This record gives sequence, structure tokens and C-alpha cells, in this order.
Amino acid sequence: MHQRTVPCQYFAPQKIEEALEILSEYGKEIKVIAGGTDLLIQYYDRLYEINDWLDLKNIKELKDIRINKNQMEIGAMVTHTQLEKSEDIKKYFPVLSQAAADIGSPQIRNRGTVGGNIINASPAGDLLAPLMAYDAQFKLLSLQRESLISAEEFFIGPKKTILEPAQLLIQIILPLPPEKTYSCWIKIGKRKALIIATITLALVVEMAEDNKTVKDVKTCLGSVAPTPIEIKEIREKMIGKKFSELDFNQLGQIVEDKISPIDDIRGTREYRKDVAKNIMINALEEIDLARTGRPHNE
Amino acid sequence: MNKLIIELTINNKKRKVETTPSTRLLDLIRDDLHLTGTKEGCGKGECGACTVIMNGELVASCLILAPQADGAVITTIEGIGDDKCLDPVQEAFIETGAVQCGFCTPGMILAARKLLEENPHPDEEEIKRGISGNLCRCTGYQKIFDAIKLAADRLSSRDGGRSEKNA
Repeated sequence: MHQRTVPCQYFAPQKIEEALEILSEYGKEIKVIAGGTDLLIQYYDRLYEINDWLDLKNIKELKDIRINKNQMEIGAMVTHTQLEKSEDIKKYFPVLSQAAADIGSPQIRNRGTVGGNIINASPAGDLLAPLMAYDAQFKLLSLQRESLISAEEFFIGPKKTILEPAQLLIQIILPLPPEKTYSCWIKIGKRKALIIATITLALVVEMAEDNKTVKDVKTCLGSVAPTPIEIKEIREKMIGKKFSELDFNQLGQIVEDKISPIDDIRGTREYRKDVAKNIMINALEEIDLARTGRPHNE
Repeated sequence: MNKLIIELTINNKKRKVETTPSTRLLDLIRDDLHLTGTKEGCGKGECGACTVIMNGELVASCLILAPQADGAVITTIEGIGDDKCLDPVQEAFIETGAVQCGFCTPGMILAARKLLEENPHPDEEEIKRGISGNLCRCTGYQKIFDAIKLAADRLSSRDGGRSEKNA
């Protein structure tokens, strides 16, 4: 039996300020726990290795989804089930809602949180490509300062982020998209439930007033690089162009060429490259159908 | 390891339990409260054998620390029926032969209960999604689907109230 010299403590404060104080006092020694659906698996059989726990479950303001002026504010402790079922998320950020619905199982979605998915920073984290595609910013708080960091800056490697030990992720902020915004979510895995994604794609296209010209586009993928990534080359090829004149095959090829996936148990590099191209084409077709009500080039 | 005391309501009874910060809710339920209907399968949240209903939500008790359940209201398989009066979902599982080795059954029944509470008339796809967190290696699922459909019919043709009362 493992003998511990210092007794293990469990904190579940009600206020963010208390949590920050505990965090600044214990720093790296303490484990912050949200839903626990990733963390407890990582520590399965070795739970005794953790000295102290900081549980955020009692901090009510971290569980809210609210619209504040022209942005959506999502508390870090909002669960996947909440994201899946929220009418506001479905309306403004359908890809985020669909991605949340594709996570794990009912049991996992009821406990797992958006903040946990972000902090865990798995290259396969299902919410990460959608958050990046919607220009998410993460609000980080420590006793000393508050900062807003974009998803792109936040992730620096597999399971690595710029979060410092004294910082807490408290909120995810998404600008409300303009009216003519179309989006598509595709997750590829070996089965539907409880699968770690082989590849994910979140494609968000903003159309100009005429609903024919592409105004902006975000092509974000998961499980194809050490962090979720945006394929920025797609922007040059799409922005300012008529959607009906786009070459979907060429755009798919760009996605295939620009990703650098690895071989692992979920799929080979070659497979992921092939699939990336195909799901990009599928996503563009789906968006075109949503935009025009009929298939591309008909 | 220091001890702490948590309070929870389990199957309508208030309980105070001495535990540790690193004890899983699953172990607390089985070893401290002796409610062994809740099973441990994979211990990684993938099989659903440890499923319980906590604060009205289906959860995997292997992925919850005991102090995370402090103050929670929990229903285990022991809390939804008894020897004299089974839950309609339990009856339906028996009648359709949806139980073989039985290891997944407690979690499967709780998942089915929760599904029918939220969606009294699920179609086959909705049933599949509702129990997607629960693995069964014996039945091939068909009889489980049959059981859930039978329970859905019975619950809606009766007063539908029994599932609410015991929730």
C-alpha cells in the first residue's frame, strides 16, 4: 500500500476567487478536476499518486451558457450534454452542438465538460476543431490577471497548452456568426459511440449578402496534427469566389496536402490523408445543398 | 490517506459515508454501501456496467470520485424495484429474455429507464443511442431492444406514472 507523507486534500470551493487562491497556493501539486472523464482514466489504478484535488463542481457561474451582446459565453464546466441540447448553441453554433452529441456515450456526455476537453488538449478532442472554426477565445484567470487567448494560440502540442499552473480556464467566448453562415461537422471513427476520432472536420463558411460569394471560411481539423489545425490555404482559394464556381476536388486536395497525420492504431497516415480529402468534398457538398437547396453543379 | 465524510441520498435513503478523496464512487457504492448490483467492467467508462443515475443523469460511477458525489441524489439498480414489485423495465427484460449472463443488465436497465423517462416512445435508432454507453457481450442486443420497446408500450398504456414515482 502506498504510504503518503502529506495527507491528501479535496477542495470544492463555491467561488472562482477561492479556487484561484487554492491554485496559487498549491500550484503544480494540485489536480483540477472538472467532469473527470479523461482525467480519471489517465489516473486509473494510480489515483493515490495525486496529492490534492481541486473540484470545480460547486462554482455555479462556470455552468452557464449565455448570450452577452454579440457573443456567446460558455462556462468551462458546461457539459457535452448541455452543449448538445442548448437551443442557442444549436442555432448559432450547430457544429459545436453536433460535435458534443458525437462524444462518447450518454454517461460521458453527462459528465465531461467543454473546459475539460480543452485543457486535456488531446489532438483528437472532439470539440477543439469546432471551437477553432468558430473563432473561440478562452478566458484564463489567475489571481494576478485575466487573459483572452485564441484557440490557435492556446494549443501547442499533444496534451500541451500554454495554461500556467496558477491559471484556470473559466469561459469560452464565441462571436455570434453572421446570418448567412453555413457549417458542417464530420467525425470519422471505427464506431459511432465511445470512439476516439480518427479524423474530424469542422467547416464554417460565411457567405456575402448575395448568398453566392464566399466572405470567409474556416477549415479546421482534429486528429491530423499534434494540435487541432486550420488549413489557411483554403481561405485564399475560397474567399471572394462564387461558391458555385468552386472546385471541390481541388479544395479537398489542398486539405490532403496540408495535413501531416501520423500512423496510429486508429488509422494510417495514408488513410487519414485520403479521408481528409473526401470529407472536405462531402462537407462542401453539404454546405452547397444547405445554401441552394440543390446539389452542386446541377 | 486522510478521511473525509460525504453525505448522499442513495435509493431514497440519506447516508453519511467515511471515504477518501481518491475513492471512486463505484467502490463506495459496492464496498461501503454493499450495493453490489452496480458492476465494474472496464473501469474506463466504456462498458457502462457501473452505470447509476446521479442527480437525474446517467453516469459511469467508475469515473466519479466519491467526493464529487457529495450531496448527490443517486439511484442504483437496487433503487428501482424490489422482490415484490419490479420496475416495468425489469419485467420487460425478464419477459423478453434480454438477460443472459446478467453482468450488463443493471446498467442496461438504468440506461433504458433514463431513455424512456426522456423519450417515452423511442424508435430503434433512439434506443441504440440511448444505450450506446452500455456494452452487452451475450444478447446481440436484439432482445434488449425488444425489452425496451415492450417497456415503452407498457409504460404508456398504464398510467406511465410508475417510472416517475420511483425516479
